[in-house]
Amino acid sequence: MSENKKEQEIVEALKAKLGQSLLTARIQKPRRIFATVSPSALTDSVKFLMESHGLRHLATITAVDLGKDIAVYYHLIGGEITMNLRADTPKTEPKLPTIVPMIPGAELYEREVYEMFGVIFEGHPDLTHLILPDGWPENVYPMRKEWKTDAIKNEIAKALGEKLE
Amino acid sequence: MKNLSENTFSVPFGPQHPALKEPENFMFTVDGERVVDVKIRLGYVHRGGEKAFEARTYTQGLYLVERICGICAMAHQLCYVNNVEALIDIEIPRRADYIRTIIAELERIHSHLLWVGVAGHEVGWDTLFMYAWRDREVVLDLMELTTGNRVLHASNTIGGVRRDLTSEMISRIRKGMKLLKERTNYYKAMIPKERTLMKRAVGVGVLKPQDAVALCAVGPTLRASGIKRDVRRDDPYSAYDETPFDVITYDGCDVASRVLVRVDEILESIKILNYALEHLPSGPIAVRLPRGVPAGENVSMVEAPRGEDIHYLKSNGTDKPERYKVRAPTLANWPAVGAMIKGGYIADIPIVLAAIDPCMSCTDRMTFTEVNSAKSWQWSRDELRRYSLKWRGK
Repeated sequence: MSENKKEQEIVEALKAKLGQSLLTARIQKPRRIFATVSPSALTDSVKFLMESHGLRHLATITAVDLGKDIAVYYHLIGGEITMNLRADTPKTEPKLPTIVPMIPGAELYEREVYEMFGVIFEGHPDLTHLILPDGWPENVYPMRKEWKTDAIKNEIAKALGEKLE
Repeated sequence: MKNLSENTFSVPFGPQHPALKEPENFMFTVDGERVVDVKIRLGYVHRGGEKAFEARTYTQGLYLVERICGICAMAHQLCYVNNVEALIDIEIPRRADYIRTIIAELERIHSHLLWVGVAGHEVGWDTLFMYAWRDREVVLDLMELTTGNRVLHASNTIGGVRRDLTSEMISRIRKGMKLLKERTNYYKAMIPKERTLMKRAVGVGVLKPQDAVALCAVGPTLRASGIKRDVRRDDPYSAYDETPFDVITYDGCDVASRVLVRVDEILESIKILNYALEHLPSGPIAVRLPRGVPAGENVSMVEAPRGEDIHYLKSNGTDKPERYKVRAPTLANWPAVGAMIKGGYIADIPIVLAAIDPCMSCTDRMTFTEVNSAKSWQWSRDELRRYSLKWRGK
């Protein structure tokens, strides 16, 4: 796999840096790496990838509802490499450390994941509604799988105290 | 300064995604004519796209993804098919790659011309608006000729494209490009000398390179701060690995640079188009696919006219995606807008906002709070524009 030299370098460096905290790492194809780290190692990993490998551009943060857990992907880019760094957090008490102090551009993305999936980003400067309106019913995280559209509609109606068409 | 929108908006049903442009709400804190702070609220046109993908088949998703944005329809659809095709692990015909590149570049020219016009309009130079939008018609006619539609082209399918290019189409595109090259070169020569625009653009809405990187800006906004990043070069898709072009950067870091980057990019797009038309391979335009999409995940990116567009797809092996995530370029540029606006004048807000090409609807409203009196009031975008022209004209 000499054609993926840079990708391999990053994976090896992550392995050496994180040890047990690096749960999985694979080179999906040229220019694309997927890696999972334990939540406690998240900020260290982001910092390491930024400083040692120049992955400074955060394209976005994606959350995926896995049933028991919520997987949060940080798409970090530097040059041609896209690293999809993932950390899982339990759905019963989803929380991750914020990365805003390192990457200010993460602010809106974290707020979006917070609203849609209920993940608390500890240390975020302003974890408030961005997309959903004020007065949105509490504990309704619309992108979670258990929330079907009709159920969300009922909750909004309840919150507004009126019947929606 | 909290809860500014509570009384002004009743938000229609739908918890969903901000990749869709249009009415956003900004909270500006101003001190006299200076802007001290800005807060943004999105979601007024949130149509539930991401949730909707999970309830639709991949083929239905093909048409849903286009409707995220009328202007970058091709960019979103291209990102989507790249994602799905990567999971199916299929090579599409080279001719289809080239046709996709051609349509994507036509879209970029149309979007940039539209924007140059809007920029002119925002600073009260409506002649430029008329000129640019007249020229944009050339592209829209070519879009109709090649795809059947002026907007929402529906030109891609999973496995290729839906319409072939005939030799007559090719010669008409060439003719159109010849005309547009002439016109764009004229703008390129004229704009830096035109005081109407330059007085409002040079040194306005400054985004320093280090801020652009830290705030994760994308596209022409990033490149106007001197950062050389373009998905077409860094992570090539379709035929971009073969088509020669330059990544345009300017280092003025202001609105003027954002204008110049886009004008130059139109010329680069024409270069790509001419190359692609010349080297268009022969052969089929689509392949038949096996049924279903295997389980897995993939991330694809394209350079939309406004910048990097990133989509994430997770498949569970059924005919519907488990998760489909879209992050359109405008969302990535909002944090940078904060940096551009703080410390600037109220009168410069319209052009600074317009400079990231955010596609906001005219119904947009802004709330102003005066620091000393804590008085707040609302202006429509049009009222703000009129105020801006009057104030600057003093």
